[in-house]
Amino acid sequence: MAWVEGRYAARSVRRNVRRTSLSVLGVGVGVALALFMESVNRGREGLFARAAAYSGAGHLRVVAAGWRLRRDPRLRLRDWRADLAAARSLPGALVAAPRARAQALLAMGTHVLAVEMVGVDPEAEPRAYRFVRAMAEGRWLSPGETGAAVLGKAAADRLHAELGDEILATAVGPGGGIESGMFRIVGLVATGSEDLDASICQVTLEGLAQLTRTGGAGEVTVILADHRTAPAAKVALSAGVAPGDEVMTFEEITPEFKGHLDQDAATSRFVNGVIVLIVVLGVASAQLAAVLERRREFAVLSALGMGARRMVRLVLLEALGLGAAGAALGVGLGLPVISYFARRGLDFSKFMGSSQSFQGMVIEPVIYADVGPWIVPFVVAVALGATALASLYPAWFAARIDPAVALRVAQ
Amino acid sequence: MRVPSTVAMAWRNLWRNGRRTGLALGAIGLSVTLVLVYDSVLRAYGDWMTETVTGPMLGHAQAHAPGWRKDRAMDRTLRNLDAALGALRRDPEVVGATVRLYAPALAALGEEGFGVVVVGLDPAAEARPMGLLAGAPEPPRGKRVLMGRPLAELMGARAGDRLAIVGQGADGSLANDLYEVAGLVDTSVDFVNRQAVLMDLGEAQTLFAMPGEAHEIVVHGRDASRAAQLAARAAAMPELSGAEVLDWRTLSPEMVSLIAIVDVVWVFVLALVFVAAAAGVANTMLMATWERTRELGMLLALGAGPGRIVRLVLAESVALGLVGALLGAALGLGLVALTHRTGVDYAALTGTGPSEISYGGLRWSMRLYPTLSAVDVLRTVAAVVMTSLLASAWPAARAARLQPTQALRE
Amino acid sequence: MSRPGPAVRIARAGMLGAALLASTVPSGAAAAPPPPDVDALLDRIDDLYRSKSSIARIEIAVTSPRTSRTMRLQAWTRGEEDVLVVVEAPAREAGTATLRVGQNLWNWLPRIARTIRVPPSMMLGSWMGTDFTNDDLVKESSLRKDFVARIERRSEDPPGWWLTLEVKPGIVGRWAKIELLVSEERLPVEERHFDRKGRLARTMKFDEVKVLGGRRLPAHMTLTPADVEGQRTEMRYLDVRFDVRVPDETFSLSRLEQNR
Repeated sequence: MAWVEGRYAARSVRRNVRRTSLSVLGVGVGVALALFMESVNRGREGLFARAAAYSGAGHLRVVAAGWRLRRDPRLRLRDWRADLAAARSLPGALVAAPRARAQALLAMGTHVLAVEMVGVDPEAEPRAYRFVRAMAEGRWLSPGETGAAVLGKAAADRLHAELGDEILATAVGPGGGIESGMFRIVGLVATGSEDLDASICQVTLEGLAQLTRTGGAGEVTVILADHRTAPAAKVALSAGVAPGDEVMTFEEITPEFKGHLDQDAATSRFVNGVIVLIVVLGVASAQLAAVLERRREFAVLSALGMGARRMVRLVLLEALGLGAAGAALGVGLGLPVISYFARRGLDFSKFMGSSQSFQGMVIEPVIYADVGPWIVPFVVAVALGATALASLYPAWFAARIDPAVALRVAQ
Repeated sequence: MRVPSTVAMAWRNLWRNGRRTGLALGAIGLSVTLVLVYDSVLRAYGDWMTETVTGPMLGHAQAHAPGWRKDRAMDRTLRNLDAALGALRRDPEVVGATVRLYAPALAALGEEGFGVVVVGLDPAAEARPMGLLAGAPEPPRGKRVLMGRPLAELMGARAGDRLAIVGQGADGSLANDLYEVAGLVDTSVDFVNRQAVLMDLGEAQTLFAMPGEAHEIVVHGRDASRAAQLAARAAAMPELSGAEVLDWRTLSPEMVSLIAIVDVVWVFVLALVFVAAAAGVANTMLMATWERTRELGMLLALGAGPGRIVRLVLAESVALGLVGALLGAALGLGLVALTHRTGVDYAALTGTGPSEISYGGLRWSMRLYPTLSAVDVLRTVAAVVMTSLLASAWPAARAARLQPTQALRE
Repeated sequence: MSRPGPAVRIARAGMLGAALLASTVPSGAAAAPPPPDVDALLDRIDDLYRSKSSIARIEIAVTSPRTSRTMRLQAWTRGEEDVLVVVEAPAREAGTATLRVGQNLWNWLPRIARTIRVPPSMMLGSWMGTDFTNDDLVKESSLRKDFVARIERRSEDPPGWWLTLEVKPGIVGRWAKIELLVSEERLPVEERHFDRKGRLARTMKFDEVKVLGGRRLPAHMTLTPADVEGQRTEMRYLDVRFDVRVPDETFSLSRLEQNR
């Protein structure tokens, strides 16, 4: 006869609109807060993963066989064009950028600087490596242009060179010989980190090939839409690359980074735990407060013959209804907020400058709130969990009421 | 002693409604405890990051010959080492001071040469917990050297192998000698593991023709946050005149950024945690007070003035808030005190995750030492009391304005 | 770290072939001698130290603001690519040898009796800790082919001519301009190297003209970088034999390991 409890519960809710709305509001606000927190937490996990990926590491990288063992910049892919095509057609891949590297010495007069020159595809590279957008002077590379280079500001300073100057680049060619070429500085980059800036020297793939007399690309770096899909994407991509070329995930390339992500994930869990605990606590206590005041009501019901089990069911049904309504309200309050921040991002740069760099990574302190199908189960769990928890005591207690005792006027 | 009767009534009221009081106290108290626990972990995290960043490689302050940091020239050395170290070690603010030498060189097992950096260091000083050699199998001594494990793997070297090292001495001459690999190390510094051959300082000074000289003095003080003052003190010492002495923040601004980013995000989360707690407390007090409209109506009917009602409720709220917050704070402080000395394993705290991770070129061992400052506690208690006060003010005021009969009907 | 190149090559950067001038008799008249033919002049400078093979003893002194040291070497060259350099002094480094054959570079270290191959990436910097760079020694640079030259003006002390050499477009090299002072004997006295921004980067001075290996040439060179106080490298030829027969096995690794 759930019907009776149900109708009673519904009527009870209607009769105490204020109490009900307060309860629902309480649950709703709590749920919205928890939702916001979880969304920001998930976004925070992405902060460093994004930083690493967009600082040149990428989420996946196609490398030549043998690079895994000895990271020799002179290694080249077996068929870089095929690898690039495979990467670009990979579902979930945002950008695929080919690169070639060479150990080189730059010189202007008697001033020299050792750098790793990187040959890039000027169209793909800015989308794969954030710093490229931080051009301090001059311009970026044009496709196919040889003889042009983009340097970090600190690198140019150490060479006592400026925008527009011609510098001599000497690199190790195939077979270990020394090859030289001239490059004109067409752009200067300032990332904010002097060490990073002193190591940046980018030219086009063609430019590097001309200098080193070695064509092709040594790697294809892939940025995915979601870093968590990297392992699966690796498998998919491995099937499509030229035989002899391998695919590595960013965790394999910089294993120490994986550790940080794990730690970040662990932190998220801790923070979530605290938030959800607080929310549940708040909601539950409010619910309890509401229910405690209804002892007389329960006593009356009991006196009228309602059995213990049905009383319990009553309490739980009310809780369910409240929880559901609260969850709906919570989503209604929270979803617009997290959608907004998912688009715009939470910008912390006011507190620390516009971008920070660390260990060769450019970190933008912007967190993009996460929106996804996880929202529904999360909200339901928090709302119902809180209200159910809150109902346990009153349900137990409602079942034990001695009408005579409870109906005494003195409370 | 005459206690104002409102307060007395409030107090009696609280105890008369054991369950309601207990509930409110529980809600308020636990909220405060949770916020404080979170805050303590936040602080511990910040401390831990700073410790790890400054620990082995960076120290709190460093001294170099001017210009060395830019060009790393072998002949830009610090002389007068004994006097400088003596002066530093005598300073009460200095916990430890040690010396290092950095020499780029070529290392070869057989014919193939590999680019390495020979790091000459003082084994006794570096074997301490904060040093580079903490956890190393044995200290480098004489012709026995240590290699970073990844470097050894790259070269195919094992303990017992003979390593030829060729470099340029500080006087420009050719430095070369044979050494035995005593063991492999995993220090907490990525650069050392990937590129370094660790050698006894005296031996390195002989090899590179720079007796009594070195490139770097590393100083540890008592508190990483006071490193700038430490650096200033050291710079003022006559034994270090002419040297460039800088604190870790100036030396490695990237570490500062890293800590800053993590800090800011955590503080943001703290703010949210706080809002959540406040919401919970507010909800509870609101609910509790609404539910008492009937009871308050009874008081009105009995002749109590509306103002009195409001004061009564507010007094109860303040009392509840204070007692609850203080109880919660006590519990929170207790938990923090328990874990402060021994520390808490981060992995255990979060249920999973590694117990030691490597990031930013450093190995981070994941033990946190929760701390709280008096300010944190006071701030939280005050905020919670305010919240509970405000949350009950509205329903109390409303109840007080009702007609007694209306109120009784609720 | 020793990174040798053909030691003899250093001198290729601007030297005059005195042999060809031996027939020119300076006139006793007070009037200035006629200016030289620029192309022929530069050819002589390019070829002053060039030969199919050579054996030389050289002294090198490097002075820096903080230290100074002197080395004495013996160098054998074959063609453009192969060089063997053995250190004779100081005693601490005596017997150390460096062999370059084609693109490969090895060091022989007698103290520890080991031969080590220098990885190519470490060959890019300065040569043996001096102010000379690898491309001073390795590159096939030619004053005549890479530059457009003209006689700028007459010089009175020492008597000679100042030439201005401007790099031709498309040439790979550090110098946009070289100012060259040539004596009446058609020997270089001073070279000023200007970087690609037109700033004076370094100065080479030549003196101690004597007959070595049948050629009359400056035996002493000083290279001074423009913006480092108190820094210079000096090279002095003690004796040279040009186009002498150098046995092929000189340039072998196994021979390298034998004590010379």
